[in-house]
Amino acid sequence: MNLLQTSLGRLPLFNPVTVASGTFGTEYGSFYDLNRLGAYVSKTITNDPKAGNPCPRLFETEAGLLNSIGLQNPGIDLFIKEHLPLLREKLSIPIIVSFSGSSVSEFRRMLIQLDNCVGISAYEVNISCPNVENEGIAFGVDAGIVSELVKTLRAETERELIIKLSPNVTDIASIAKSAEESGADSLALINTVFGMAIDPKTGKSRIKRGIAGYSGPAIKPIALANVYKVAQAVQIPILAMGGISTWQDALEFFYAGASAIAVGTASFYDPLAPIRCLEGLETYLKDTDIPLCDLIGSISF
Amino acid sequence: MAYDPIYRLCRIHSCTVLNESYSMLEIIDDEIAGRCEPGNFVEIKPYKAGSVLKRLFKPISIYKVESDSIFLMIKALGRGSKELTKLNEGDMVELIAPLGNSFPMPTGKSIALVSGGIGYPPLWFLKSRLNADIKVRWFHGGACEKDIFPCDEAWTIDGSAGTKGLVTQGLVEWLKDHPCDAIYSCGPEALLKALAALCDTHNIPLYVSMEAYMACGVGVCHGCTVPIGTKENWNYLRVCKDGPVFDARDIRWELI
Repeated sequence: MNLLQTSLGRLPLFNPVTVASGTFGTEYGSFYDLNRLGAYVSKTITNDPKAGNPCPRLFETEAGLLNSIGLQNPGIDLFIKEHLPLLREKLSIPIIVSFSGSSVSEFRRMLIQLDNCVGISAYEVNISCPNVENEGIAFGVDAGIVSELVKTLRAETERELIIKLSPNVTDIASIAKSAEESGADSLALINTVFGMAIDPKTGKSRIKRGIAGYSGPAIKPIALANVYKVAQAVQIPILAMGGISTWQDALEFFYAGASAIAVGTASFYDPLAPIRCLEGLETYLKDTDIPLCDLIGSISF
Repeated sequence: MAYDPIYRLCRIHSCTVLNESYSMLEIIDDEIAGRCEPGNFVEIKPYKAGSVLKRLFKPISIYKVESDSIFLMIKALGRGSKELTKLNEGDMVELIAPLGNSFPMPTGKSIALVSGGIGYPPLWFLKSRLNADIKVRWFHGGACEKDIFPCDEAWTIDGSAGTKGLVTQGLVEWLKDHPCDAIYSCGPEALLKALAALCDTHNIPLYVSMEAYMACGVGVCHGCTVPIGTKENWNYLRVCKDGPVFDARDIRWELI
């Protein structure tokens, strides 16, 4: 029996360890077999190519990483023409394509274009990037807009629809419920937390754009609280991310109600983090002889 | 780059303190050593048994490769690099190497190397791999004496070693009566910018190794980019994967 078996709505996963969009690429295939992952999640693509934000885009704090990449990507046409075939060739695991648009109609056009491509198992609809003007978080803060967007996308695809939520909102549970009621198969959370750093010697912002997205160990408790809150509010599965770097971290998220997890920033300080996470979970579940699905949401007080 | 990078634990074979700011690490690994080209860098961080240090790797240029030994010159700057200078013989490090592209080998017979501070190491590696018949003039500058290492012409801001002033002053003088087929450089942004303008005027090819704040070091995160292309059509390329070496004419300096 595969104790690690899990699922995200209509998408069954051989194991629950995936990778967070924007923190991963096939480059990590130099260090291990990427097909050991539960699923592969692409960097977010937008309709038009995006140059991204000026540098500095990164700053490491005492407990995490600030980033302000700004969704740099080649745009959907080049992604479909060049990147997707490469992913299909290298990967036998489910490919989850993350994408973001600047209007409901643009999201819809992108989804239709992607739906014509073979080899995509699911969409992660990014309505939570903190580092861009028009896409991203502009959509993720309003339950009404989320509802309209998800309904529109739901009408166009039979594939798994994952909505990626931001923690930078007043009430994440109401956004989550809105996505669920509108037809989302599952929810991914959390995207990065708003963060900032300033050089005390000069008064200069460490990040060119000022406010950035904060990830890494510092945001794990925030992510956990958000996952728990959302798990209490909805029935659909949760793909959890936010500071997960070890199998013990992953277990915490399963107890809080996550069905699968993504390793993000941790890959930067440990290229093998996703695999170590997977191997740790496998050993733990074997030793305790508990299937993962029995752990999900079984937090006690 | 012809090879995939290797990620593994390595032992510090020797650690030599050069002065109060600089140390030299030696790592022995035949497989990695065999793959290193001048311009390549490594991602490195101290390894602590039983726990993953939740800190980013530090990108460090390769200073020298001799048989199976890889030498890294480290300047204590921030927290990460300070920790690296405190390593001892026998300590373990995590290493991802080699990374990035390499310097194009010169086609002419006379070149200049221009380095500033910790920009010195990659040029040493380049110099060690040049054909013997290539004439090299090395200009090296720094803030003070401790930034100065063996070269043909040393310059310091405070005048504590070499000539007082900017390293570019030396280059300008030398160019007046010496032919130069190409210039190779690594150092602070201000130096590279000034050199780019200078080489533009003199119509000399300039290859620069760019420094950048990095997270992944392998091309995934797009955190370490520079604007590359023409004035009308440029894109942010990754220092870690598309660089660190770029033709200075391709860099949109006005956007940095």
